Amino acid sequence: MIRSHLLNMVVFSALVAVFFAFLTQTGTRDRLRVILILGGSMVVLSLVLAYVMYPFPLR
Amino acid sequence: MSETLVEHAIPKARPAAAPFVACVLAWLVPGLGHVYLGRKGRGAVFFVVVLAMFVLGIGSGGAASLIEEKQPLTFLATFDNVAVGPIDLVGRYLTYSTIVYALPGSEGDPRRAELLDKLRARVRSVTYEYGNTFLLTAGLMNILLILDAFDIAKGRKD
Repeated sequence: MIRSHLLNMVVFSALVAVFFAFLTQTGTRDRLRVILILGGSMVVLSLVLAYVMYPFPLR
Repeated sequence: MSETLVEHAIPKARPAAAPFVACVLAWLVPGLGHVYLGRKGRGAVFFVVVLAMFVLGIGSGGAASLIEEKQPLTFLATFDNVAVGPIDLVGRYLTYSTIVYALPGSEGDPRRAELLDKLRARVRSVTYEYGNTFLLTAGLMNILLILDAFDIAKGRKD
């Protein structure tokens, strides 16, 4: 369906962030904050981890 | 501590909402438990999110898990798939062209070979791992929703 790795990751992060925002928060502002922090950190940390792993395997 | 303070600290349970009914509804349709408990907006969002996860999972080549006695993790994965509710039946039918939950134990069973062939056809898909992740996450989300509906019905959460 979605063949792009990045798009898959972004969609997955967005859905998980929305889910937990609505599960754990009640106010609109709080939900938005959770969506931005959780969704953003999932995407950014995944990209950072991908770059850290880039040299491996060494041969 | 006075009784009044204790009463304020613990939210009162809603006697009209039966926790068991809320849990069953939450399993039947993701988010329906919350709608039953009066959280219509949240219920609608949960329905859309879990359904999107499930559709993306099946659409990306994910496969419903089958129990195989020699592999204990398949019990957990199958339980997780079933936790998403009756829509798991759709996923199983699209994966195996039938409703099945376990692989036949005998290696020589032609039914086992047929099911494994259908599973391999899914595994060959480039996006199989993504699909499986989406599918399993949909099940985990619905487990959390069932537990959340239970807590709300018990008055432990708003």
